[in-house]
Amino acid sequence: MRDNVKSGALTEVTFFILLALYQARHGYAIMQFVEEKTEGRLMIGAGSLYGALDSLNKKGWITIHDDSDVRKKEYIITDEGKHVAERELKRIQSLACIAEEIIGG
Amino acid sequence: MKKYRYFGGFLTSQEKWLNKMAQKGYRLVRVGKMLYEFESCTPKQYQYAVEFVADKSKKDSQEYKAFLEGCGYKVFYKNINVSYSIGKVRFRPWAEGSGKIATNATTFNKELLIVEKENDGNPFELHTTTNDKIGYIKKWRNIWLTYFAMFALMAILFAFKTPLASIILGSIGVLTLIPVIAYQIQVDKLKKEAETEE
Repeated sequence: MRDNVKSGALTEVTFFILLALYQARHGYAIMQFVEEKTEGRLMIGAGSLYGALDSLNKKGWITIHDDSDVRKKEYIITDEGKHVAERELKRIQSLACIAEEIIGG
Repeated sequence: MKKYRYFGGFLTSQEKWLNKMAQKGYRLVRVGKMLYEFESCTPKQYQYAVEFVADKSKKDSQEYKAFLEGCGYKVFYKNINVSYSIGKVRFRPWAEGSGKIATNATTFNKELLIVEKENDGNPFELHTTTNDKIGYIKKWRNIWLTYFAMFALMAILFAFKTPLASIILGSIGVLTLIPVIAYQIQVDKLKKEAETEE
């Protein structure tokens, strides 16, 4: 998982995983969430998702919600993760503002 | 239908072959050391991916398998080498943590996962993000780099006593650098792309 430390920008996949986990979801449900919301534009491979969940968990941005079924381990966003997501939303909003000024929205 | 094949470390060939079988209407039902057993299915009903997991610890590889199954895929364990010895211990310097030592009880003969997905019209890719792709390719690069280091070390050890052996070992060592360089080129290309896109 690459996070640009200097600008604090998240990758699109990271941001989408955080958004998906505002409600407890397991891996497959996250993949479906992303596919539905982007109408198939963005698809996360299961291997990439597995790695991303692991690193977000280690960062403390998400946590395990329910691991009673090892195949459908559920994750949920933490307060720290929500803070990161809010900051990312602000960054994207300000970026969109600048882009609209220049390109014309 | 039973078929016998040996692919060794050629994961892409194995993946292509399984997908070709699926296109012809054969679904994998069982795997052995060299055995692949198929049953008839609708052509193009399934898609296959072959994943290298020998660098993971037993727990991690089981968790990963369970995760993939949770995603709705069918997963088979597969060996990478053909070996019938019992109680064998294998050292994998390129692996992570406890995956470094492979025994019969851990990840030995379970180096690969064959992953089956019902064809939904989309390409079947397990690795989609740039960084994850880079990580996966680097794993292969490091395996060959380990071979290179081993041959280089042996070449040095033999240098004084048997120069001929040293030259042979050294030459093999140089050959192992070919895949190292090939993988490095792929990594660099992905990194270059990542500068402007993700």
